[in-house]
Amino acid sequence: MSSFWTAALTIAVKDMKIEWRTKTAFASAIVFAVLVLAVFYFARDPTAVGALDIAPGALWVTFTFAAMLGLNRAFLLESENRAMDGLLLAPIAPSAIFVGKFLGNLAFVGVVELVSLPLFILFYDLPIIRQLPALVGVIAMATIAFVAVGTLLSAMVVRTRFAELMLPILLLPFLIPPVVGAVQLTSRILSQRPLSDLAGWLKLLASFDIIFVILCFFLFEATLEE
Amino acid sequence: MKRVEPALKAQGVTRRYGHRVVLQDVSVEVSGGEFLMLVGHNGAGKTTLIRVLAGLLKPSAGTVQRSGATGMVAHSSMLYDALTARENLAFFGRLHGHNDPALIQRVLEQMGLAPHGDRRVATFSRGMVQRLSIGRALLPDPELLLLDEPLTGLDDTAAATIREVLHDLQQRGRAIVVATHQLAELVDLASTVGFLVGGRLAGLEPVAGRDGHSVMAHYRELAANV
Amino acid sequence: MTRRDHALALARRGQVITAIALAGLAGVFIRALAFTPIERTQGLAQKIFYVHAPSAWAALLAFGITGILSLLYLWLKDRKIDSIAAASAEVGLAFSVVMLTTGPIWGKTVWGTWWSWDARLTSTMFIFLLFIGYRVMRGAIVDPEMRARYSAVIGIMALVLVPFIHMTVYLFRTLHPDPVLLKPSSPSMPGVMLVTLLTSVAVFTLMYVGFVTQRYAIAILRDVREEAASAVS
Repeated sequence: MSSFWTAALTIAVKDMKIEWRTKTAFASAIVFAVLVLAVFYFARDPTAVGALDIAPGALWVTFTFAAMLGLNRAFLLESENRAMDGLLLAPIAPSAIFVGKFLGNLAFVGVVELVSLPLFILFYDLPIIRQLPALVGVIAMATIAFVAVGTLLSAMVVRTRFAELMLPILLLPFLIPPVVGAVQLTSRILSQRPLSDLAGWLKLLASFDIIFVILCFFLFEATLEE
Repeated sequence: MKRVEPALKAQGVTRRYGHRVVLQDVSVEVSGGEFLMLVGHNGAGKTTLIRVLAGLLKPSAGTVQRSGATGMVAHSSMLYDALTARENLAFFGRLHGHNDPALIQRVLEQMGLAPHGDRRVATFSRGMVQRLSIGRALLPDPELLLLDEPLTGLDDTAAATIREVLHDLQQRGRAIVVATHQLAELVDLASTVGFLVGGRLAGLEPVAGRDGHSVMAHYRELAANV
Repeated sequence: MTRRDHALALARRGQVITAIALAGLAGVFIRALAFTPIERTQGLAQKIFYVHAPSAWAALLAFGITGILSLLYLWLKDRKIDSIAAASAEVGLAFSVVMLTTGPIWGKTVWGTWWSWDARLTSTMFIFLLFIGYRVMRGAIVDPEMRARYSAVIGIMALVLVPFIHMTVYLFRTLHPDPVLLKPSSPSMPGVMLVTLLTSVAVFTLMYVGFVTQRYAIAILRDVREEAASAVS
């Protein structure tokens, strides 16, 4: 394995280890997710709007906002004791730091999603065992998209004033394509309709993933102190 | 005689933040076995100079060349509070391409932290954090070690350990640069002293047996003339 | 010539361009109201179009130029480029406000609704929001060099994002038929109206150039003053 991937994985594993040990971020993101899912369930007129109609939107608002809690912290770990300097002093490519943080954030958001998805199915009483692989695929695609952008933006906002306010303002516009796409796909999957008429959304999501992961990878170096 | 490449060579280094000039035309050269002490009041540009010499900041003008691996100890520990001492060293060691538990054990022993290797850094005293921070800087077996105020806020035992380590490194032909405003404890180790006044190197002289008081008196003289 | 003189000369040039553009704008108003026929189905409300569409064009132009200058900045690291990009973004913000206020007024009479999530309208609303994010980001960073780099990153990201938003809304709309009374298809406008519209587009472009020139001159003057202040301290 090349030193690039060794460095990236070392950073990702370190982040997971810290998150797992402190557990505050995991716990608050998961509790947050449960609360939002519950609030959305009751934020409707039950005689007019079925739970199934509101479910896709509820799921994605939950996922993205819970992810934002984690993304806000992503570079806080590195800025606390200026550990970022330690990473930059090491003989590794700066982009390996991006990939490491990206994978670490992906794992964090992935775990939060993994815990809240069964709760979501339970709360909204969704008989979707057969569609589960498709749903997981869509979740993975959309998650990659907003975690890539979120990782890049959080590297910047951590060094500005009002960091916690800044991330949502900058990140939310970038969530429109992946989240709208994910909601559309989720809704088709939940209503058990064929995915064939959704090729457009899948293409949109896939191209967003590819373009923004590459873009963030190359732009990351510009966010480092010079 | 064969000319040996100096471990550190900075020429005409200038650093600006916006219009504020923090460093102006600083040139220093440090070879293996040399110990350069940078003296200056707060705001004289010591920290910026150390960061530029380490390669963490790009000079606005001038060049910095380092011949080999560089270790740096700053105000901030560059450590993760949630990880143990050993895990911190293992993490940074891996980024430097060393994955040897024996090396980490040796560094822990050298810094007098062997009994505390499996404790989280969050539980460490200031002196222990500083010793671990130096241990982290020693991991890549650096040719050049840069230290910013290494003895600030330390008790006598910690200060003694650090003195010992620095002396040992100097004996083994490593180049050392220490920036400080309280030089009484280390001036007897230093071979050269540089006087930073308002971002300029006002003087670069051999220590020649002078003690902290006479060096400080000379600094005040230089500062008054600028 | 000192930088200050240069900036003052630039500001004067910007003022002249703006003055010409404003005279042109008065001309467009007169031509639109008195010498262009009233559109048969939309009535008088269609006149707003002569301000709405050109301001949308100017906002889009500002957005594109900010994005391209951002890319250039990361490449060349010239602070002038950053200042022009920032000036362009700020002027673009103003134009997008004009666009977002005239749009609903026109939409209410023609579409029968204040707001419609049409692809163009939605994209331009996000351009407005991205301009605001860009502005807020600049305000939160003190070090000018870091501010320039971070703004450039946002500028490039935003430029790539907007086509995606456009596509998203387009895909969304094809699934949900929209509730408009009249759908303005691509204009098969009578020649007279088209001439008025194109004149207005030219005038707004000139206005953009005039504003950005002046805004850039102010940025230089501010920089000169800061330089003088830091030389004293």
